[in-house]
Amino acid sequence: MSQAVSQATAPVLDPITVEVIGAALSSIVEETGEALIRASYSTNIKERRDCSTALFNAAGETLCQAEHIPIHLGSFIGIIPHIMRKHRVEDMRPGDVFVGNDAYEGGGTHLPDIVLAEPIFVDGKIVAWTVNLAHHSDFADRGHAHIYQEGLRIPPVRLYRQGVLQEDIQNLILLNCQVPHERLSDLRAQMAANRVGVQRFQGLCAKYGADVVLAAADALLDYAERKMRAGIAAMPDGTWHFEDVFDNPEIDYNLPLRVTATIAGDSMTLDFDAPDQLRAGLNMTYTALLATAYYVVKSVVDPTILPNAGLARPLSITAREGSVLNCVHPAAVNGRVQTCQRVSDLILGALAQAVPERVTACSNSACTVATFIGQKADGSTWVYLETMGGGGGARATKDGLDGIHVHATNTSNLPVEALEIEYPLTLMRYELVQDSGGVGTHRGGMGLRRVYRADRDCLVRVDVSRLRSQSWGLLGGGEGARGAVECGPGVEFRKEAAALKAGQWFAVVSPGAGGYGPPAARPEDAVARDVAEGVISATRAKQAYA
Amino acid sequence: MARWRVGVDSGGTFTDVCLFDEDDGRVEVWKVSSTPDDPSRGIAQGVEEGMRRVVPEAGDQPAAAVTYFGHGTTVATNALIQHRGVKTGLVTTDGFRDLLEIGRQKRPDLYDMQADKPPVLVPRDLRQEVPERVRHDGSIDTALDEAKMRQAAVALREAGVKAVAVSFLYGFIRPEHEARAVQILREEMPDAFISAGHEIAPEFREYERLSTVVLNAYLGPVMRSYIEKLTPRLEGLGMTATPHLTQSNGGVISFSAAAGLPVRTVLSGPSTGVVGAQVIGELAGFEDLITFDMGGTSTDVALLQGGQCRLTSEAVVHGYPIKAPMLDIHTVGAGGGSIAHVDAGGLLKVGPRSCGAFPGPVCYDKGSTEPATTDANVVLQTLNPTHLLGGRMPIRQDLAKASIQRLADQLGLGLMETAQGILSVVTANMARAIRVISVQRGHDPRDFTLMAFGGGGPLYAARLAKELDMKRVLVPRNPGILCAMGLLLTDLRADFAATKLLPLAPGSIGEVADGFATLTARAEEWFEHEDIAPANRQLTRTADMRYAGQNYELAVPLPEGPVTAATLDALAAGFEELHRQRYGFIAEGEAVQVVTLRLEATGLVKKAELLRYPDAGPDASGAITGQRPVWFPEAQDFVPTPIYSRDELKPGHRFAGPAIVEQMDTTTVVPPGMSARVDPYLNLILEVVA
Repeated sequence: MSQAVSQATAPVLDPITVEVIGAALSSIVEETGEALIRASYSTNIKERRDCSTALFNAAGETLCQAEHIPIHLGSFIGIIPHIMRKHRVEDMRPGDVFVGNDAYEGGGTHLPDIVLAEPIFVDGKIVAWTVNLAHHSDFADRGHAHIYQEGLRIPPVRLYRQGVLQEDIQNLILLNCQVPHERLSDLRAQMAANRVGVQRFQGLCAKYGADVVLAAADALLDYAERKMRAGIAAMPDGTWHFEDVFDNPEIDYNLPLRVTATIAGDSMTLDFDAPDQLRAGLNMTYTALLATAYYVVKSVVDPTILPNAGLARPLSITAREGSVLNCVHPAAVNGRVQTCQRVSDLILGALAQAVPERVTACSNSACTVATFIGQKADGSTWVYLETMGGGGGARATKDGLDGIHVHATNTSNLPVEALEIEYPLTLMRYELVQDSGGVGTHRGGMGLRRVYRADRDCLVRVDVSRLRSQSWGLLGGGEGARGAVECGPGVEFRKEAAALKAGQWFAVVSPGAGGYGPPAARPEDAVARDVAEGVISATRAKQAYA
Repeated sequence: MARWRVGVDSGGTFTDVCLFDEDDGRVEVWKVSSTPDDPSRGIAQGVEEGMRRVVPEAGDQPAAAVTYFGHGTTVATNALIQHRGVKTGLVTTDGFRDLLEIGRQKRPDLYDMQADKPPVLVPRDLRQEVPERVRHDGSIDTALDEAKMRQAAVALREAGVKAVAVSFLYGFIRPEHEARAVQILREEMPDAFISAGHEIAPEFREYERLSTVVLNAYLGPVMRSYIEKLTPRLEGLGMTATPHLTQSNGGVISFSAAAGLPVRTVLSGPSTGVVGAQVIGELAGFEDLITFDMGGTSTDVALLQGGQCRLTSEAVVHGYPIKAPMLDIHTVGAGGGSIAHVDAGGLLKVGPRSCGAFPGPVCYDKGSTEPATTDANVVLQTLNPTHLLGGRMPIRQDLAKASIQRLADQLGLGLMETAQGILSVVTANMARAIRVISVQRGHDPRDFTLMAFGGGGPLYAARLAKELDMKRVLVPRNPGILCAMGLLLTDLRADFAATKLLPLAPGSIGEVADGFATLTARAEEWFEHEDIAPANRQLTRTADMRYAGQNYELAVPLPEGPVTAATLDALAAGFEELHRQRYGFIAEGEAVQVVTLRLEATGLVKKAELLRYPDAGPDASGAITGQRPVWFPEAQDFVPTPIYSRDELKPGHRFAGPAIVEQMDTTTVVPPGMSARVDPYLNLILEVVA
């Protein structure tokens, strides 16, 4: 009897059960993430951790995202609706696993981010989805005029059908990859992660009852929404504008980007104004814009809000369709992370006028990427991609962080000892860059320099921003230093790439971040320490701090 | 003359001294207040007072009868948490001095822009770069520039550093450059404490190795000075036994060995508890255990399978990566003093803020108004509502009620429901911690017995077991001093490792054999140093393995005997089994690599043996000291509940829940649906009634 009653109506849950189930959902996504990293082969996943995991409800709303890479949420929120559009729910079976990456037909944000999504069945019904994403370091040395040049487009299709691998699909994918063996291994690791997600979520349902778990999951969405609303309501009402430029080696002019942020009561609107989409891989899909905006707003309003779909409800994010920030087919998107980074700081610039104590000055506002492509002795291709941290924006009460990943990305570096064992490269230097942090009462974070020596001939492609513009300071703080590319003798950097001969060196320098507050207010001993530590040169200290 | 083995656990509010009479198996416990400014004082006082109690006639040599002295300390941990290490310098390969600061370039918190990394222990101006470069294949790309090296040493000396870390790229593969750098440093600064990568952590991944070496240097002089203070104090009491210290791996080493490797003692305190749990579990007949050590502000959990706790070779401790053998102990920042609150979204949260020893929970009436978990227990009357600490400390239940009522009003729930809710949230947090060490490592908690100790463990253990569907809880006789006890139950132990990247193929047999031969020679040297007789020496070998291409390894045990083709076959099979268990698949036909060879050396020592007491029959009614209403969620109400005195419980006694067992240092809750029995070692065993 009671069974029937509880099935007919959603159970009413107390705040404690909700909290307990929330902790369980977080531990499921953490656990799936750990399985993915540990079982993987590519340096990009196993050491750099460029991957994410999440759980979704049957309606495609994010229940919980592991704390890996904010931009990956963009691919996550896109994929379930696209699966639903292309496949009938009643045809789905336990053990079906969908694979997808496309920016227009698969909800992705760029092609290397391959998503595996598996429905979780309880009592013959789909109750949730376990989803994970791995950035496959492949599709290298391609064009970026439109998406067809950027790699294989995969709409959501079944990679596994009731637990059976669809080898023809897998073969099709692998043939389009430059490093197929690594791709295969990483796909296996993604499968291992999904298996964990399915088992653990089913276990949770067995313990509490699927109806209770789903009701708690709904309550957690409402909870995130309430916290977001409470946080926004505590901020002053008003409308603020901010503008910056975006630059990239792929284009030879600077793009103006604008945002208008409006806070009214407990909701917030962010309206972006950007030029038409480009024939370059710098365009952002709408889901990438959403993921970026959600990350920034959560960070400013209340970093402890659960990373689920509820937090988006008080937010309205708009940008003109067909513009760089809301591109449409067939725009190229591979380097969208550069644009995402600039958009993050753009939002901070607007919100700085409302809540200056909560935001940072402009961080390095780029994701400095170097991709090396070459042939091994056996003729097979190797591709090595790495992203470098840079300066973190100075804060209202303290200096910015030096040499870290900011905003939409958060990947580890590859240990030098792992890099050199795996690829024909030698890292000559890896250091913080003097004078790169913007001056101010609180100093902006420093950029990084990585100097590579090629031990075999290879091609290096650099994807970066802030080579022609600088990160802004806040309330009197100075600008961060530009990023740079440095070439050893005989190396020529053209547009975005350089061919390296064995023995030649090449360096990438990531941008510094803006300072906060007038330099005159920086305590003398802090300036003296900066000089002693070589963070700032004596000359520049004299100029800036008198 | 009587012979006493003495274990001292210092770190908390009290210094616990556990004394064990080797002849008749008697265990005595003595507690004195800790002396945080100079812990050696409190320890000496505790040993002196403790020994005078058991050997009143000893005169001015009270510790003369001590045959073994084991010590678990938080000196290194505290110096790390409070950043009270010494001024430290660093020497790195040219171009890499900033690696210490850059780390893995990730930010400290994904969303919180105000978060900071832990402070860098060597400022940039004390980080010296020296031209030298070894390649990953062991060849030399650039020879060490000795003149520059000497300049660096002089600069550090002139800057007044007390310790120096040396860590070069690939120093673990070819240590000559590091060794020469150490030589030059010793010549230029003979008084400095010097640590080198190839000695402290000869393993792959330069940042984590660097971090470990720097920590070792930073903590070195602190540990050395501590040992230099404690040793004469103990000798002054007439002690002649070699004093020993617990390392993070649960084994003990002599003070002299520990002085050079402080980074290996950062988990000294909690690891002794795990060792104590291991021995008690084994005696009680339970070798698959999850330990649950709950104190006032934090809780440590660990998993023991077949009586063994997994050893990790790397962990992040207080924000710093450490490559050293450590028991796989997971710590969460929640304990009896954690404060409950309602957050902006209207959910009940407990911790991580704690009320600490002062002002303590609301019921102590020392000025706190925010309810701690202790207050919830006082309101539910799982804890005595009038007095704590065996009657020594009066408390105010009315204040605890008022503080929880305020939370209840915010949540729109009743008082008792809220009090119980606080416990449920704590339990869920603890369950999450246990999942990290069990489910996330491929173990099903249902196959394990929960061993509860620390002041808070027994209070929550039954609920926690239920949350995880575990069937059995074991509460040792003296849960409050299990760590001190563990010191008397442990063998000497040291771990040796060498990174060797080798294919798992017949061609590697020679290198694997040579690698282990080198490690064995080092272990034998250590045995000599520790004065372990050949018959008491034990060696266990493992190999860290992975599929070529992966970067995380699984530790596979080696069979006994010389390394042959059969050994490699056994490794291959063991690796596949582990890989399947951990990740759910094996990559058929893929090449397998051996990455690191590890040797665990155990020096068997005579240990305390716990007494078996005779069976006193099932009737426990003689141990009942009274009755009080206790609120149980099963009844959603107060239930009249018998109160048992732990001191009166005898082997064979049985009783059913609901029941409360009180003793000086803890309270055990036996909820409805569970039964309790006492085993011959006076352990209390709670089981789900089938």
